[in-house]
Amino acid sequence: MANVELKNLTKKYGDVIAVQNMDLFIPHNEFLVLVGPSGCGKSTTLRMIAGLEEITGGEIFIDDQLVNEKDPKDRNVSMVFQNYALYPHMTVEENLGFSLKIAKVDKKEIEERVKEAVQILGLQELQKRKPSQLSGGQRQRVAMGRAIVRRPDAFLFDEPLSNLDAKLRTQMRTEIKKLHQKLQTTIVYVTHDQVEAMTLADRIIIMKDGYIEQIGSPIDVFNNPVNVFVATFIGSPPMNILTANIIKKDAKLFFELDENILMPCPESKFDYLSKKENVIIGIRPEDITPTISSNSSENIWNFEKNIDLVEPLGTETQIFIKLNNKEIISRMYNQREIKIGQKIEFSINLNKIHIFDKDTEKVIK
Amino acid sequence: MKQIKKISFWFLVMFLLILICMPGIWIFVSAFRPNPEILAKPANWIPDRWTIHQFTQMFSINGYVSVPAFKYLMNSVIISSVSTVIAITIGMMGGYAFARFNFKGKNKIFLGLMLARAVPGISLSLPLFILFAKIGIINTSFGVILVYVAMNVPFTIWLTDGFFRQIPKEMSEVARTDGCTRLQAFWNVELPLAGPGIGAAAIFAFLLSWNEYALASIITRTVHSKTLPIGMMDYLDEFTINWAGMCAIAVVMIVPAVILTFIVQKHLVSGLTFGGVKG
Ligand SMILES: Nc1ncnc2c1ncn2[C@@H]1O[C@H](COP(=O)(O)OP(=O)(O)OP(=O)(O)O)[C@@H](O)[C@H]1O
Ligand SMILES: [Mg+2]
Repeated sequence: MANVELKNLTKKYGDVIAVQNMDLFIPHNEFLVLVGPSGCGKSTTLRMIAGLEEITGGEIFIDDQLVNEKDPKDRNVSMVFQNYALYPHMTVEENLGFSLKIAKVDKKEIEERVKEAVQILGLQELQKRKPSQLSGGQRQRVAMGRAIVRRPDAFLFDEPLSNLDAKLRTQMRTEIKKLHQKLQTTIVYVTHDQVEAMTLADRIIIMKDGYIEQIGSPIDVFNNPVNVFVATFIGSPPMNILTANIIKKDAKLFFELDENILMPCPESKFDYLSKKENVIIGIRPEDITPTISSNSSENIWNFEKNIDLVEPLGTETQIFIKLNNKEIISRMYNQREIKIGQKIEFSINLNKIHIFDKDTEKVIK
Repeated sequence: MKQIKKISFWFLVMFLLILICMPGIWIFVSAFRPNPEILAKPANWIPDRWTIHQFTQMFSINGYVSVPAFKYLMNSVIISSVSTVIAITIGMMGGYAFARFNFKGKNKIFLGLMLARAVPGISLSLPLFILFAKIGIINTSFGVILVYVAMNVPFTIWLTDGFFRQIPKEMSEVARTDGCTRLQAFWNVELPLAGPGIGAAAIFAFLLSWNEYALASIITRTVHSKTLPIGMMDYLDEFTINWAGMCAIAVVMIVPAVILTFIVQKHLVSGLTFGGVKG
């Protein structure tokens, strides 16, 4: 039972700011995922919580206790590293029991708890092996087992699956999710992987240059990105982004997506946008699709455009077009014969477009 | 054709091997034969008469007859082992600090240590002699140990620094989140992993002390502190040189060193494979 709280947390390496004024409350049992581009401070945040990195400013609370001055060993959090960091000179069993041995837990109980972890993670056959005799997935499992055995207040995972191949990664992802449900512990999880973030998280934090850009549930972050960065970072293939001029016509506003292609602006934005010359428009690939005869409802707007490239992927086909000289991806879920160069009609659901300020790149509400 | 190539290759290897081992073989052979035979011209490769006369004289039970080799051997063993243990302990800690911590002037200090190695030891002999004489540790094992520790520490730091660097720092970090203090993490995880490297450093340090001559020849004066290499000089009389005796004491020096190296080397090779980290 423990929540984790960061107050105004800052980390500087000389002049380099790794984490800047981070405020965050992680309630007990939450699965929190940190994502962001390389170097944005994810690992640093995790390492500060673990106590492996000295903090430059701010406060960290674990279980409502200030832990700024506490050694890693007294924080009762377990960390799982990207490269697993198993003790090479110990067997799987010894690796699992090491923390208890250091804590001078008696032998009987060590045995029991190691056994329990072995069962949870399915390591029965491997107990006597050394890490060098294990496959990547098995090592990963031992690393998690070692974290479990301690019964920590919180788990910290730093890209734990990034060294595994795609198939194993999917499998381990489900296992981590199950593990979380079984253990009921707070987890802070760093990843580069979109799918991992979306599927595992109760809440996602998107970081950039040491700042938190947005916090929210996966669906919330996906549907309502607060700025261009988050919009393009979450979702794959990423959201289409293009700059469009605002055109006034008959007391209405239009976005000029391309020569002679004018998309009507939602009325709710008139006030704000009438003063602007241009905006950034974001459209997810799944929200711009070749028109099917049936989908002509009120908020659907259609336009025609030549196709540059077609990539059939089986379940979907990705169609590439150009608007304002930017490559735009459209996803089509029905298998219809389409040729490169052909001019076809596309539909955009106007409720689903994202409009961002050109200067601040923030969403226009 | 291939066969010929192979055979000639082996001949070449054998030839080079014999060439390299020649002085060693000569010492061995000479240790076991009478002095006049050593000086025979042309050289007499295979002794006419084998004898352990020199050894019985050195190690005779009723007190030595020629040179107190046993005492020298003991001095050598004590001085070399003690100085090795101390140098490794200090050097290892230093190496760890250089590998793991950042502190002010780290690179400069490291460079300084390496430069200290570049100073020829013999150039220090006179200052050392005067200094040691003044503080009264001339001709003591303690004095020699002190010198050897100072000689070995920089090298040990340099060597172990490299070995500690090879151990991913996550290793100690994970140990620390597992409940270890820094020291426990070092003792339980990093030290065992660096074991082979430290073993290698220990051999180097030991052999350096074991074979050192120049400084010992100045600091040691009597049986009280003389080591084997210095003891060898006892066979140098004013008018004669007892080559057989010298060779015999050389054998006493070489054999333990070789045995030790073999023993430790086995441990080094059977050392750990790094499987804990991704691969
Ligand atoms: N020991 C260090 N000394 C100096 N700068 C550092 C150090 N460690 C990290 N940094 C800097 O701090 C910033 C954040 O690093 P961090 O490792 O937290 O990034 P990350 O988000 O985990 O990236 P990645 O996804 O590549 O792992 C980076 O700009 C990095 O260069
Ligand atoms: Mg990282």
